Amino acid sequence: MNTNTALVNKTEDLPGDFAIWIFILAEMLVFGVMFIVYAFARSNQLEVFNASQLTLSRGMGTLNTIILITSSYFVVRAVSAIKTGNARQSAHWLLGTIFLGAMFVAVKLWEFKQKFAAGITLETNDFYMYYLTLTFFHLMHVLMGMIILACIVYKLKHGDYSAQEHFGVETGASFWHMVDLLWIVLFPLIYIIR
Amino acid sequence: MNTPLNRFATLIWLALVILTIMTFCIGEEVSAGKTVMLSVLLISLIKGQLIANYFMGLRHVSWLWRGIILGYFVVVGGMIAIAYLK
Repeated sequence: MNTNTALVNKTEDLPGDFAIWIFILAEMLVFGVMFIVYAFARSNQLEVFNASQLTLSRGMGTLNTIILITSSYFVVRAVSAIKTGNARQSAHWLLGTIFLGAMFVAVKLWEFKQKFAAGITLETNDFYMYYLTLTFFHLMHVLMGMIILACIVYKLKHGDYSAQEHFGVETGASFWHMVDLLWIVLFPLIYIIR
Repeated sequence: MNTPLNRFATLIWLALVILTIMTFCIGEEVSAGKTVMLSVLLISLIKGQLIANYFMGLRHVSWLWRGIILGYFVVVGGMIAIAYLK
């Protein structure tokens, strides 16, 4: 094998800690099962699910999707910055990500507030039970991601990561992308498809 | 630093935003139906692949990991489609 062939065929290791990828797969499996259960529950109560779904704000759901996608892009830039040894810039991108995460949380809490003000609870009907449970469970992951990224920012500011050693940044980044990946399915499933 | 890789990531971000707006428009403009469901699921699969391959960085790792993510979207999306077509 000549050098060029070797370069073309070269595969890289997974970004970040291998353990986070096992965690990511486990989380995706749990959410995947819940998505499928929701879809089959809907097929048994079409009218209830369709009527209730129309009370959701698709605009807010779309806004939150764009917020999460943009935050994922910021994370890509943070990883790119630390790979060139620019810890300060990397921390700035991650702070931007945390800010966008806070915006996502604010929009979601506003949505919950609107529903609770209208007297809607987990017990109103099956659609709202799934809507509140799935989106709250996902919201917890957003909050967990924000805490992880905040810890990485702290370490970046203390010079713990460099162009050579940035394993932790990639690990946190992978977790955040997973949160985005899950929302990519959750958003159309709950807000759009009817 | 605006490297070619960063510029590429920006293009991927732009594609993801456009696909999200397309999903919103489908939800707003088109009434319920199989075509809506299938097109929205297809858009989700494309978005998932863009995020996994270019944002998560799986494009250059073993095909097994890319296959797992693609398989996830195909299986979960497929099951959702079956439930909706039931």
